[in-house]
Amino acid sequence: MVNKVHFVVILILSISIIINLFPLPEIITPYKPPLLMLVLIYWSLAFPNQINLTYAFVFGIIMDILLMMPLGYNAFLYTITIYLIIIYYPQIRLHSYWNKMFSLLIILIPYFIMSTFTNNMLNIEYNLLEVLTSIIISVLIWPLLFSVLRFIRLKYTV
Amino acid sequence: MKSELHFRGERFVFIKLLVFLFLSIIFLFADINLKYSNEIRTKFSYLIQPIYLLAALPSDIYKNISNYLTYQNNLILEKKELEKKILIQSGIIQKIPSLQEENKRLKKLLYSSRTLNSSKIQMAELIKVNLNPFHNKIIINEGAKKNIFIGQAVIDSLGVLGRVSEINSDFSIVTLITDPAYAILGINTRTNKRIVISGIGDNRKLIAKYIPFNEDILEGDIIITSGLDNIFPEGYMIGQISKIDRTENDDFLNVFVTPSSSLSSNREVMLLW
Repeated sequence: MVNKVHFVVILILSISIIINLFPLPEIITPYKPPLLMLVLIYWSLAFPNQINLTYAFVFGIIMDILLMMPLGYNAFLYTITIYLIIIYYPQIRLHSYWNKMFSLLIILIPYFIMSTFTNNMLNIEYNLLEVLTSIIISVLIWPLLFSVLRFIRLKYTV
Repeated sequence: MKSELHFRGERFVFIKLLVFLFLSIIFLFADINLKYSNEIRTKFSYLIQPIYLLAALPSDIYKNISNYLTYQNNLILEKKELEKKILIQSGIIQKIPSLQEENKRLKKLLYSSRTLNSSKIQMAELIKVNLNPFHNKIIINEGAKKNIFIGQAVIDSLGVLGRVSEINSDFSIVTLITDPAYAILGINTRTNKRIVISGIGDNRKLIAKYIPFNEDILEGDIIITSGLDNIFPEGYMIGQISKIDRTENDDFLNVFVTPSSSLSSNREVMLLW
């Protein structure tokens, strides 16, 4: 059963990596939500014992290589975020469907702060407003993503 | 029992967190200083390229379908227009040999040795993949197999695009001129003065650096490559000066340049030798 969980999760994460790379219209691109991280957050909420920091780190490194970011950038951010999920998953799970959006926003605030911090440290160009908007958008798409992934989880895993 | 397990797990997680954070910070600083992520990407390029191609697939399919569904009337109209364009352009090109002759003679008179050498051109196509929007990089579908080299100039039909920064066997990565870590030495065609053009990470804007207050510069001046940086051959369009900001507090003028190449929307690019 555990192996099946790993298999399904790796498959879904690989698909979301490819979706993350899809070309979007120029206007939307800066506001693109960090899809892979949202999917990782969902799976670590569902299986905190199996989908842990190792996943976050390895997929962060893969993302860095594919997106041509400095190696370790996404790994750093994913690790911190998934750590928060693993620490607080009992509380977050208790929240209702809509309250989860709010708790996601709180989980994503450290991500936002750390990403701007690392951007500043490494002299990576960024636009504060665009990063903020992408986080708000990721909170807004969370219910949809949640129901899709929940459907997949109920159908193919436990 | 259960709470104990939970507690032990948490401590273990914290150690893991520290290890991974430490590792990623080490990776980050090593990568910033040694730039080894390019080598890693080159090593795994046979794995990476299929992913890029897969990600580019929807836009390719969309393009093919829209090509397929174009009405014949539209195609005929477009063909006529293109034929007209070709006629006009070949008319202009007719004059080039005589102009080159004239140019050579004038250069001889001036004892100048620099010439506009016509170079070999290789077409390449973009692999449309959504990278970090602030990174100013594009991926093209030609690589080391076509003798592309690092630092090679890349242009499109309207102007200078950037230069090749990373080569793999089947694809390579082009850094656009809008990259902040990038500068070209251009020439103002009106005054023949040299001018340093640098990117600021914005697709629609470049900045001209270190221009003193008394410089003869106007909005609308056209800037071309100078050929002095040994990257871009002489005479390709960079852009047009769009705005001059004369703030008295700064040491230099703030001059903005609109790039002439369509940096965000092109599909075919040209590599120069």
